[in-house]
Amino acid sequence: MKRQSSLVSESVLIEKLTRRDEQAFHWLYDQYSPALYGVVLRIVRDDEHAQDLVQDIFVKIWKNLDAYDASKGRLFTWMLNVARNTAIDALRARKTQPSQTNAIRTDEENVHIVDRQHNTEQPNPEHIGIKDVVSQLRPERRQLIDLVYFGGYTHEEAADELNLPLGTVKTRIRAALQELKQLFKS
Amino acid sequence: MNIPEYIASGILESYVMGAVSDQERREVNCLSSIYPEVQQELDQLSLSIENYALLHSVEPPAELKSKIMAQLTFEKAAEPIIRPMPVDMSIDRPTFKTTWIVAASIGLLLLAFSFYLLSQLRTNQDTVAQLQSSNSVLQKEVSQLKDNQSESEQALALFRQHGTRTLELKGNEKAPNGDMLVFWNAKTRQVAVEVRSLPHLNPDQQYQLWSLVGGKPVDAGVFDAGDTTKLLQQLNRPIDRADAFAVTVEKRGGSPSPTLSTLLAMTTVDA
Repeated sequence: MKRQSSLVSESVLIEKLTRRDEQAFHWLYDQYSPALYGVVLRIVRDDEHAQDLVQDIFVKIWKNLDAYDASKGRLFTWMLNVARNTAIDALRARKTQPSQTNAIRTDEENVHIVDRQHNTEQPNPEHIGIKDVVSQLRPERRQLIDLVYFGGYTHEEAADELNLPLGTVKTRIRAALQELKQLFKS
Repeated sequence: MNIPEYIASGILESYVMGAVSDQERREVNCLSSIYPEVQQELDQLSLSIENYALLHSVEPPAELKSKIMAQLTFEKAAEPIIRPMPVDMSIDRPTFKTTWIVAASIGLLLLAFSFYLLSQLRTNQDTVAQLQSSNSVLQKEVSQLKDNQSESEQALALFRQHGTRTLELKGNEKAPNGDMLVFWNAKTRQVAVEVRSLPHLNPDQQYQLWSLVGGKPVDAGVFDAGDTTKLLQQLNRPIDRADAFAVTVEKRGGSPSPTLSTLLAMTTVDA
């Protein structure tokens, strides 16, 4: 897997990155830009917007490398969080923009967002590979991961969205992640 | 706190999904740094979500990279690596230069020194030639002095011999300034002359000394008169008897009988 090759070199990469080495940037970009772009694209569902965001994300990463603490987690995890947070913030800003008079997100809007996200066909052929692993994931668990991870939904928002009790959402998230953990282990 | 229960609560899963409150996030960060088992579970869940995210990878457009790079500032890491190389070169260069300069200097010094030696050699050769010439001059002088000394010794030996007489001959009207001495020893039969002043002769002429015995002239030898003539000229004719001595001018080598018309001087020998 692509993941394994980067494991070995991550500490070396970090050392070079803290020196703002240009070669290290090439490495960083070549290794992680498809993953970050994929995640951002999945969140915002717009090629152009995703590209703008990936630019912002890499600039953010480059400027805030000193804030990254290797003891608290892996570099890729940190980068994913930066990418995800940036994209979700941008998505929310966009969503609230047209209805500036009504700042509070209504259920109706939420339904609209979710419909838009989930009724859209998977746009990228690269995603075919997902089926191999993810098809083994129970659909209701996958749905919840996508809603929370790529949609930026809170537990409450997800519970409302799926018409499920909050406790069930929490249990299902845990079950989904545990299953994912087992799937990647094998 | 019951750690297995905390792990099983599902908060770590929500944490990696980014679906926790700020307070919950701080709580997880804190506990994971204290409890290795919390950190371990968190790492595994993070890896799972990473892998899940990777499954959604999409290659971004090629121009995106250059767009991003235009916004970033890079530490010029390539230069400090390359820089030492020309520095090393420049270190090598002066060394090479210095070596060359030193070698050239030594070469120039050797050249100058050889020129100096050559000039010294020429000076010495000149000095040797001068010394040689002066030496030969000295040797000539020495040999001349030796000759003079042997003459003087001969003269002295002649004078010391018992019975040597000294006769003074004065020039007649043909040679008014004529003045010479004749040394004669009857026992050893030796005769010598010392010309003090006599007229110069033609190259084909010589003076001839005659001893007169009972009115008859006997050849007593020829001699020269001039600047180059020796102080004392020994004549090679044995004379044991003489009543008088006379000097005539004859052809070079002498004549068997004297030419009376050329008689210049004459003196009698006292008995």
